Amino acid sequence: MKVKNLNKSKLPIVRIDNSLEKYKGKVLFKDKLDKANDMLKTVGLPKSRKQS
Amino acid sequence: MKLERYEIKAEKSLMIFEFVSEGPKGKIHKLVQFGETNLKDLFNLAFGDKDLITGEINDSIVSNNNDSDKVLATVVATVYAFTDKYPNAWIYATGSTKSRTRLYRMGLTKYLTEIEEDFDLYGQRVGEWESFEKGVEYEAFLVQRKNT
Repeated sequence: MKVKNLNKSKLPIVRIDNSLEKYKGKVLFKDKLDKANDMLKTVGLPKSRKQS
Repeated sequence: MKLERYEIKAEKSLMIFEFVSEGPKGKIHKLVQFGETNLKDLFNLAFGDKDLITGEINDSIVSNNNDSDKVLATVVATVYAFTDKYPNAWIYATGSTKSRTRLYRMGLTKYLTEIEEDFDLYGQRVGEWESFEKGVEYEAFLVQRKNT
């Protein structure tokens, strides 16, 4: 498959960039995460087709 | 979703992605994070602009770089990459404002057929999750990759 077509496939080509490792383990969007956790505390999850 | 999208970079665990939006406002670096929540296997999807000088991330800025479809398609591509590595993950997303949540809903509605080929999609309304339907206003969204 040509690279051009690969780029259009649903699964993208992802280049690993070690400079992004500095963000690992950090919460970059704290307000959003806090809001999500608050919401999920009461709402939980819908029933899934898959069990993890 | 066969839309044009930006090239994507990530760190090894594929939980943080970066791409560069290009438009009339110039090059804007965007970061996408799939953040762990208090619920097992549930991740919060958030993205925003990276200030190259301060290094700070801003998720409430309106970039107006005339590429919102391309940005959205790129974020969707990160969801494919993330769920390819973590197939059991649930992904939660909501906008930083009501209007942005509405924008996301419009994007999901536009490509619902394609999305539902690969994902179970839910909308949150009045404190409950329900299968996503067109024309319904939701407060948040949740997706999980379908079994392949």
